[in-house]
Amino acid sequence: MKKLSILPIFLFLAGCNITVLDPKSSTGKEQSFLIWFSFGLMTIVVITVFILFAWFVFKYRYTKEKDDVIPKDVKGNLKLELTWTILPVLLLAVLAVPTIAITYDQSPVSDAKEELDGVPIDVKAEQFKWTFTHENGKEVTDELVIPETDAVIFHLKSADIIHSFWVPALAGKVDVFPDKELTYEIKNPEAGTYKGKCAEYCGLQHADMTFDVKVVSAEDYKKYIEEEE
Amino acid sequence: MNIPFFGDLPSDVLVAWIFSVILGIIVSIFIIKKKKLPVIWEYIRTTNHRKIGTMYILFGVLFFIRAGIDALFIRTQLALPNNEFWVFQYEKYNEVFTTHGTMMIFFAAMPLLLGLMNVVIPLQIGARDLAFPFLNAVGFWLFLAGAIFFNLAFFFNTTPDVGWTGYAPLSTSEYTPGPSTDYYVFGVQISGLGTIFTALNLIVTIVRHRAPGMKLTRMPLFSWAALITSFLILIAFTVLAIGLYLLMFDRLFGTGFFSGDEGSPVFWQHLFWIFGHPEVYILALPAFGMFSDIIPTFAKKRIFGYPAMVISLALIGFLGFTVWSHHMFTVGLGPMANTFFAITTMLIAVPTGIKVFNWLFTIRGGVLRMTVPMLFSLGFIPSFVMGGVTGVMLSVSAADFQFHDSHFVVAHFHYVILASTILGIFAGLYYWYPKITGYMLDEKLGKWHFWLFLIGYHLTFFPMHISGLQGMPRRVYTYGADEGLTTLNFLSTIGAFLMGVSMLFVVWNLYKTHTKKEKVGNDPWNGRTLEWTVASPSPEHTFDPMPVVKEMDPFWYAKQENRELETTTKTRAAPIAINTIIPILMAFSLFVVAVGLTFTWYWLAIAGGVLLFSLFIIRSLTDERKDHYGKGVETNE
Amino acid sequence: MNDYEIALFKDKQMGFFIYLGVEAIMFATLFATYFIFTPAVKGPHPSDIFEWKSLLLSSFFLLSSSGTLILAEKGFTQGDKRKFLIGLGLTFIFALVFLGLEFSEFYRYVQEGYGISANTFLSAFYVLVGLHAAHVLFGACWMIVLFILYRKKTSTALYTEKLKIFSYYWHFVDVIWIFIIVLVYVPYLM
Ligand code: HEA
Ligand code: HEA
Ligand code: CUA
Ligand SMILES: [Cu+2]
Repeated sequence: MKKLSILPIFLFLAGCNITVLDPKSSTGKEQSFLIWFSFGLMTIVVITVFILFAWFVFKYRYTKEKDDVIPKDVKGNLKLELTWTILPVLLLAVLAVPTIAITYDQSPVSDAKEELDGVPIDVKAEQFKWTFTHENGKEVTDELVIPETDAVIFHLKSADIIHSFWVPALAGKVDVFPDKELTYEIKNPEAGTYKGKCAEYCGLQHADMTFDVKVVSAEDYKKYIEEEE
Repeated sequence: MNIPFFGDLPSDVLVAWIFSVILGIIVSIFIIKKKKLPVIWEYIRTTNHRKIGTMYILFGVLFFIRAGIDALFIRTQLALPNNEFWVFQYEKYNEVFTTHGTMMIFFAAMPLLLGLMNVVIPLQIGARDLAFPFLNAVGFWLFLAGAIFFNLAFFFNTTPDVGWTGYAPLSTSEYTPGPSTDYYVFGVQISGLGTIFTALNLIVTIVRHRAPGMKLTRMPLFSWAALITSFLILIAFTVLAIGLYLLMFDRLFGTGFFSGDEGSPVFWQHLFWIFGHPEVYILALPAFGMFSDIIPTFAKKRIFGYPAMVISLALIGFLGFTVWSHHMFTVGLGPMANTFFAITTMLIAVPTGIKVFNWLFTIRGGVLRMTVPMLFSLGFIPSFVMGGVTGVMLSVSAADFQFHDSHFVVAHFHYVILASTILGIFAGLYYWYPKITGYMLDEKLGKWHFWLFLIGYHLTFFPMHISGLQGMPRRVYTYGADEGLTTLNFLSTIGAFLMGVSMLFVVWNLYKTHTKKEKVGNDPWNGRTLEWTVASPSPEHTFDPMPVVKEMDPFWYAKQENRELETTTKTRAAPIAINTIIPILMAFSLFVVAVGLTFTWYWLAIAGGVLLFSLFIIRSLTDERKDHYGKGVETNE
Repeated sequence: MNDYEIALFKDKQMGFFIYLGVEAIMFATLFATYFIFTPAVKGPHPSDIFEWKSLLLSSFFLLSSSGTLILAEKGFTQGDKRKFLIGLGLTFIFALVFLGLEFSEFYRYVQEGYGISANTFLSAFYVLVGLHAAHVLFGACWMIVLFILYRKKTSTALYTEKLKIFSYYWHFVDVIWIFIIVLVYVPYLM
């Protein structure tokens, strides 16, 4: 179909390296796997529907010869009905398995300070800036530096209203609440410079509430948190 | 610009004032010149379902254009990186997307659907009117009062800017002081109340006023969809009403449900989405119903799998209440809740799929006449599936951590809403236009409208999937040139303007149709259901004698077998039509209450309340049943 | 009532039952709100302020008003004018007494510093119980209209209809009060 054939063009225009689909952490990789996987399954659905649609619309369109034709009335067909109930259920079951597995692993939780192992970072969000506090108490605004390590554990809390912590290139987002602290884990970030954003609408300067993210080697990180501002 | 009484007015508001005043003058001159005042007076006091439906549609279209122009502002601002279009940065951008979302959902899509139901449902089931004509008028005027109240905010430059979701604590008085958010709260509250009444009315009508022999198993699918949608409305809008009630207390009377160290912002989100998710099916199901009536008409073939169509409607409605937290995957409800809601959400794909395949198999074996309503119905199927499957992708909770609040979500919901609701409304309007006005819209211009709209729609929203994945959050007024978003956004903007152009064809079409004034007969489409047996436009007094229904699509089979529909003179008690000014006054008094509360002029709020109550008393003393009851029966003395 | 009137009444009855369903959902949402926020993390605890005495007293009046209303309805169908007027009159008076008691209860709370913004428990309490009180007030005004309609010699059929609809409303408001007793007060009076 016409609509489908423009898809590659769009992919091309977007430069093929779409941020979220080319993530730089294993957390993000799991997420992009899910995106690709579900996209694949959904493509099957879309193509099935498109083919049936194009075929039926073309074949049964009105033409002069059919002027007086009154089509046969068909009430339904139980077998077909069952087919398109059961096949989607199976397809969704296939999708559900990795969904459940990865969701269980990744869902942000509240009050998990002790349980998780990794480099802890306190994140404070407020209208309209981010403050990151490192293990040794070093506080930095709108710049997040983290080491390449097994896991970075973010403890997020807001000083006013809801914001959302998002580094598209690394991993998905977590909302930041004023009344409860959430914990989110990013595993194996890879070195590089990325852009962080506030992803929950929070008022006047929501669009400007961005921050820079640098993932550096473990030694550089050590140096970084030791050095004075 | 500084103007006495209004204070500082930004240029967009000024333009809106000037534009509205000029438009108002033109319309007034037109009305007086053409001596239309009596007509307006008649419509103000009417309780007839077709007239009320027409008003719903008229204002729905008006607000659709208003909200659509907002969309064009959004798209123009986003066309290029670091763009500064007119005033639409920062708070103006925030205001414009809030207005766009709220107006589209509550004041464009809802009234258009309710309007079509109002016109069509009684005719489809062989009823003379809705069960409660008076209440119907009240419902309509409440909708309009709420909509006008919401719109006023803009003219006083205090437009709400909290998003259509009104998330707390941003929407509490601490972070949005002043009246702006109150316009959202009361505007939606008042019109929501009207919606609840109309839903109640539709249920009683459909359950009790069907023509003899029209069993539920023979009822057209649009009526079925209206019935199930009405149940969803009753539950969803009631929960929203309480959410807004609590938010009002937070804003005006110092409670702290949604903020502070004891309140819970997530609680607002739960209330909102317990409403909000069913709401999206409230928008979609009536459209499904319309397609299910239109496709058989133009395929000359009965709907495939009627029972499955009804059951899947009901299942979608039911499952719709079990999935609301899929809007909240990132708020930290925990892995249990996230997986639970992921699975229930995926399940909704199954009944929806059943419908899609049944439509496809209705087409199969038919003879497809490519009229404009049919084109819109056919355009719907592939487009909606594309939107539906991105919904399933969103339901993959861990993946949603990436999708959430990005333009991917914007792409998803415009795909599904425009494909179902908006294309459905267009299909329905072209299809039933003869029943509403007696004229047929021009087919050729209609096809222009269809193709431009469809192409514009895909061009606008397809790139948004990618810009979302490219890391573009929603509700931001700009993006950097280095983010790889420029081409995508520019394409979206072109698409939006294509949709705008397509709407101009609608305006042209209306103009042409109403200058040509070519009346059509009862049955211009060779229809299948009862509405095509009555005159076009439908008269005030219909179905006398009443048709007797012996099968589904009775009119079609009667025509096939060259016989008249059987009728009976034993009509059932019909609702009593009256002309009354009370409904509009009731809506007005609630409007006054809302103004009073918004500006904390409590005396005014109380005055409005007293007015409302007096109207209740007048109403119960001048009940139209009085003249019809007790004929030959003794009074109580 | 003749067939025609019965059919129209059935419409109205069904519509009103659905309306009461809507009200039930409203109150259910408010009960849920109350559960979520009570007891609050700080500020007054419900057991500090609720009292058996005032609860029993006001409940007595409101709940018996359902009985007196049934009496009135019986009186009306039997054509017993006195019974009807006494029944409806008592219902009206009981409603006013209930409102008076509730108002004085609220007044006392506020005097003691337990206003609507004292904490989330009290907020949830007032929005729920207050909305119920508003329903009682509305019902009381409705009864005045019923008296007027009676004086105006409305046709029996129409009056029967109006009386029935009112009684559904009134019993519903009573049932909500029972839920309030059981879910709002009693857990914190034990
Ligand atoms: C008409 C409106 C409408 C409709 C019908 C839908 C339908 C669906 N929606 Fe959508 N949705 C919205 C309107 C709608 N939505 C809106 C307005 C928002 C955003 C609100 C906001 O934040 O402002 C939203 C947001 C939204 C989210 C939250 C995203 C986020 O904010 O992070 C999710 C997540 O799960 C979701 C999922 C779904 C699913 C699974 C369906 C399903 O019902 C789709 C089912 C249909 C199909 C799947 C296609 C047909 C089926 C087949 C051909 C059968 C075979 C298919 C399979 C086996 C998969 N929607
Ligand atoms: C029914 C629902 C509905 C509909 C139909 C639409 C229709 C459109 N929407 Fe809407 N949209 C929402 C519901 C809807 N939207 C919601 C709920 C949100 C979320 C808000 C929020 O975040 O809070 C949103 C958000 C939203 C955004 C995201 C903003 C952001 O997050 O930053 C964008 C961006 O492009 C957008 C664009 C469009 C466009 C281009 C259309 C087009 O289809 C519009 C087409 C119509 C026209 C173009 C009208 C043209 C008419 C004329 C030109 C008439 C000519 C003039 C005269 C006769 C005088 N919408
Ligand atoms: Cu902070 Cu958006
Ligand atoms: Cu949803």
